[in-house]
Amino acid sequence: MRVLVTGMGGHLGTKVAQLLETRDDVEAVAGFDFVPPRRRLSRSVFKRIDPRDRDRLIDFVRDFAPTAVAHFGVYEPAARMGVRASIEASEDCTVNALGAAVRAGALDRVVVRSGLEVYGRGAGRPEVPDEHAPLGPTSPYGRICLDVEAHAAGLARRHGIPVASLRFAPISGSRSPSPFGRLLRLPAVPVPALADPPFQLLHTDDAARAMVEALLRGADGAFNVVGPGAASPWQAVRLGNRIPVPFFGPGWLIATRIAELAGSPVPLHVLDLIRKGCAADGSRAEAELGLTDLVPTQEVVADLYAWASVTALPGAATAATARVVG
Amino acid sequence: MALDGIAVATPSVPNYGIDNDRLLARDSVLDALRRRWDGRYAVDEFGGDPHLQDFLLAPVVGRIPLRVEGGERLPRDGAALLVANRGPGFAEPLVLSGAVQREAGRRLRIVGLPTPPLLGVLTHKLGGVGRRAGDVAAVLRAGHLAAAPLAMTLSATGAGEAPRAVIAATLGFALLPVAVRPGGPVGLPVRPWVVSVGEPLAPPEGTEPGDPLAAAELAEQARTAIADMLRR
Repeated sequence: MRVLVTGMGGHLGTKVAQLLETRDDVEAVAGFDFVPPRRRLSRSVFKRIDPRDRDRLIDFVRDFAPTAVAHFGVYEPAARMGVRASIEASEDCTVNALGAAVRAGALDRVVVRSGLEVYGRGAGRPEVPDEHAPLGPTSPYGRICLDVEAHAAGLARRHGIPVASLRFAPISGSRSPSPFGRLLRLPAVPVPALADPPFQLLHTDDAARAMVEALLRGADGAFNVVGPGAASPWQAVRLGNRIPVPFFGPGWLIATRIAELAGSPVPLHVLDLIRKGCAADGSRAEAELGLTDLVPTQEVVADLYAWASVTALPGAATAATARVVG
Repeated sequence: MALDGIAVATPSVPNYGIDNDRLLARDSVLDALRRRWDGRYAVDEFGGDPHLQDFLLAPVVGRIPLRVEGGERLPRDGAALLVANRGPGFAEPLVLSGAVQREAGRRLRIVGLPTPPLLGVLTHKLGGVGRRAGDVAAVLRAGHLAAAPLAMTLSATGAGEAPRAVIAATLGFALLPVAVRPGGPVGLPVRPWVVSVGEPLAPPEGTEPGDPLAAAELAEQARTAIADMLRR
């Protein structure tokens, strides 16, 4: 199997590449991103390409001729870029990378990153949707994920290739940048005054493992991937020994502005999560991808608060040693 | 079986039995308040808060005077859908929770409780789930014991329309018809409530999940079984 990892520079992409490198049935791993990998890679080939640079991206993918694509080029707003840049980068990366991979002629499977945000939240929507629930995103990130799924599904239809969409719960971990993680780590955290909706999270390592399992099994269709159990805003804030500050109605405008000034921009999907919750039925992924031992949501929350105790190694020791050919 | 007779488990990890709804030993008031303040309690994806259910709800429903017939049919583990009659108010769901607690030592998820602001938060924490069929199916797939009401009737001994959409979405799980009626004459709750658990119902062999015809037949069987038990 020759695996192309789009978005290899992020924590998730790098982790997936590391997992693939350990497998004998994976002949080669290659990837690109606009930032270099975050961890040590041994036999992966990385090229630094901005996903919006169509010509370079297509040349690289065509030359590699992947048989499988792990598509992490789906950029969450406010994680590493703004909303508009996220939309552009995600669309360009999806269309260009998947299109070039198909044209290279050897592709036989694709797995794309998506999110529970495709279901949307609010009145009239299921509280714990399964994969058959209607899709109706209520945030820009949800629409990004839905567009990515639609592109990939079109590819599957036209070329008869199995395409799996992994609808991840919000991904968090002590070392992975996420707008929700930043918000929870503020000294005082806004919470809904009149509600305490449950939300689920997914540990970064589990998201990477789900991607590898889906690739190896040639999974087809949509899968919700969530950490077992749930947490709620009031509870999560107290678990981290932070101060919950209740808001309601227009008060959220003030809350998000203050959070932004404090260094934690709050995109709409994170605001939805904390005001309306975010949960899904992950039983299909458990059964078909063998994901029965995922890190529980409350442990992911605890891991988020372990951030402060993480000791960074000196720069030279942490520099990625992937063979950078770009 | 009385509440005191149930062997309650001691939590080794603070997950409060989310996985099997098993009723657990209760904290003291001080410990419970400390646990709430520290955020060290479990929450499930349906908004249920087992710690709060065991601490607040269990003592209340455990004191409801009631008599259970066919209690041995209530599953001690795993998922099942109870379909029960319901009159105006909240009496039947509370009585049913009490019966399940006494007979099986488990918590019960009640389908379709109202969810206005603030009150909705509390009903979800105490085990309420939305009335959408897909959400109820997710509750059962997670291994919980759920109770869905027949359509509400004004008569305390009436059996309304069965929830067909819920039954269709949950085909394949055990379905138990349950009749809940006040023990007193002309429906007055002057004697202990009577909860009758009927024989499990199942669709014909080879029924596909979501089959609307099979669900309609099963719904009618459940309604008839409940009506028969209410007439006894």
